[in-house]
Amino acid sequence: MDFAFTKEQLMFKQEVIRFAEKEIVPRVREHDLKEEFDFESFRKLGEFGILGLHFPEDLGGSGADVITTVLASEALGEAGVDGGLTLSLGAHTFLCADTIYRHGTDEQRKKYVPKLASGEWIGCMGLTEPNAGSDVASLKARAEKKGDAYVLNGNKMFITNGPIADVAVVYAKTNPELKHAGISAFIIEKGTPGFSAGPNLIKMGVRTSQTSELIMNDCVIPAQNLLGEEGEGFNMSMQTVEWDRSALLAPFVGAAQYMLKRCATYANEREQFGRPIGKFQAVKHKLANIRIFVEAARTLVYRTAWCKDQGRALNHLEAAVAKLFLGDWSLVPTNDGVVLHGGYGYCHEYDMERIFRDGRLGPIGGGTSDIQKMIISKLM
Amino acid sequence: MNYDFSERETAFFSQIDELMQSLAEAGDSDRGDTGAVGHRLRHALKRLAETPYLKLGLQAQEGLDGPSLMRAMEIVSSLAPSLFLSVEMSARVFGRILSTWGNAEQKERWLAPLLKGEIVGALALSEDSLNVENEPLKTKAKAEGDAVVINGRKQYVVNGPVADWIAVAGAIEDKNAIFLIEKNAAGLRLGDRIATVGYEGAAICGLSLENCRIRADRVVGRFEPKEGLGKIRLWENQVIVGASLGLMKAAFESAKDYAKSHESGAKPVIAYQEVGFKLAEMLTLLQTSQLLACRAAWTAEHMPEEADSLTLCAKVFCTEASEDVAGKALQILAGAGYVSGNAAERAYRCAKYGQIAGTSTEIARVRIGDCALEKP
Repeated sequence: MDFAFTKEQLMFKQEVIRFAEKEIVPRVREHDLKEEFDFESFRKLGEFGILGLHFPEDLGGSGADVITTVLASEALGEAGVDGGLTLSLGAHTFLCADTIYRHGTDEQRKKYVPKLASGEWIGCMGLTEPNAGSDVASLKARAEKKGDAYVLNGNKMFITNGPIADVAVVYAKTNPELKHAGISAFIIEKGTPGFSAGPNLIKMGVRTSQTSELIMNDCVIPAQNLLGEEGEGFNMSMQTVEWDRSALLAPFVGAAQYMLKRCATYANEREQFGRPIGKFQAVKHKLANIRIFVEAARTLVYRTAWCKDQGRALNHLEAAVAKLFLGDWSLVPTNDGVVLHGGYGYCHEYDMERIFRDGRLGPIGGGTSDIQKMIISKLM
Repeated sequence: MNYDFSERETAFFSQIDELMQSLAEAGDSDRGDTGAVGHRLRHALKRLAETPYLKLGLQAQEGLDGPSLMRAMEIVSSLAPSLFLSVEMSARVFGRILSTWGNAEQKERWLAPLLKGEIVGALALSEDSLNVENEPLKTKAKAEGDAVVINGRKQYVVNGPVADWIAVAGAIEDKNAIFLIEKNAAGLRLGDRIATVGYEGAAICGLSLENCRIRADRVVGRFEPKEGLGKIRLWENQVIVGASLGLMKAAFESAKDYAKSHESGAKPVIAYQEVGFKLAEMLTLLQTSQLLACRAAWTAEHMPEEADSLTLCAKVFCTEASEDVAGKALQILAGAGYVSGNAAERAYRCAKYGQIAGTSTEIARVRIGDCALEKP
């Protein structure tokens, strides 16, 4: 075994941290309070190259490996970027753009990937429905082929970037009788008649990401907007899990690392009973809890990323273990970060309550912890 | 970066697994009389000496490193935890003292036979103060001509009743050193073998030294107190991490096998979420522990400046996880688990030791916290 990063990977991570601290973090609190998407930061992420890191250069990317891509996501969290923006990035790059890149025709790739990699366009992915979450086979959205077009009907729910997206990858059934095998993926552009987004949903955390319903009401798209072949949609959605369990989890690790740094600084500066509170064992105990979580969690995330770099098919058991751990075992350390700060931890300006709120998405988004347990217990 | 074990390592793990399957049949949980425990340990050391196992961490072995040792420790611990503890305290901890600080003659005299499985070693470190890392050792030695005279008391010496040589940590002048004391040395008095909650197949005792005189060439190293004891604690902690992985593995496997074979309501109990989800949590803790332990072991070899705090992280996580996993395994096994003599029950009793021994969980958290405060 070898747990070393390359010098280039480590240097790039530091570069991302410096960039994010200077260009993005100063606006995080304001946007989180207003529950507004930070278009300016997103544009800067595109300029810096983070939105398309792993895509080839001719499509506007940098050709980075998965580990580097994951380190960049972690670095954003470690710099103090909020979970809302990193979630938007994840949905945009890994759930939307990467699906087009992996499964699209050359024409589709050239049309969409460069615009998504640069941040000129924002992407989203529509799989979950009001009554179909992890039970993907039960989704109701329907796509019927009529001549050289598809007509889509149905609703998608909890769609990150839904209200602001220029392009969406949407899953719908072309053959409902085939259940999983009857699901297909389509590209829908903003402004397509019959396609609309609901209002932004008010959420507990990740507030700067905009989340909404997507509504397809006799939405007609050209047949060439089908991604891959009919019936391949389920497998495409499952492939996004590789990113979901690595690059989308990495910001949570980074955020916990950021929390640790802030907590240590606060514990050194804050004095009670005539000495810094860092002198008290109960405070050290909390710092230790956060550090232990960070070290344990990051190893799981890197393992998933490394396996993807080797071109291996996703090990669903290991991926579920990573997701379950990141979600369920983050509660105590992120709570410790809030409590360590006392009243300040409960206030917005110290970032602790935001990290705690953002982290609550961990056991829910991308398949709840119960679903992960279901997967693990079936595969073991 | 590489998260896989090589073919060489995998073959080594199979060798150890096969060997331990035969050694474990002798009944690891049996307290047995001290003579039988010693005989079993010597037999195991001889057999393990036929493999690279005893040499890992002490002498370079091609294709094998810290993570290899960690996985091999997991295998040994999962099959025979008491034997594991005894072997490790002899080979790894006693052995590393010699390989790190011993001079050429001392290595020839003690390390060579140790690696051949010909002698049993023990470490006598713990004293009745709360934390030997922060308190000066009460065991004191004084140079007298070409000899050293030692006085003091030690507690919880694993292998104490069966060891040929005991490495006693003590203070001499303003430094610490290790004193190698032979089992029948005048002035050494071994206490009665201690009855313990777990690891009952290991021989543990306290000892006292009253004007125990040894030759000066049996003094190993003279080091600054924090430096020397810190290293010994690191080695102990690594052993305990390996022990915890094995306990977890054994408990998890027994619960999983039971849940797949035991039926209730015409289906295996693993099909019930109350059981299946517990197993999922257990496997999550096991896999996370395995990775963290291997990374800490790798870090100790490649980035030693970060090894202490990461090993403490691994120790806290793995030892707490092992108690959690063993407890859940007992719950799944229900009545079958509560009957003495099964792997989950044994793991449950042994698990607590890991949080107490080496750097205790409380002290470990304090030190991890200190590390965060130093480099915010």
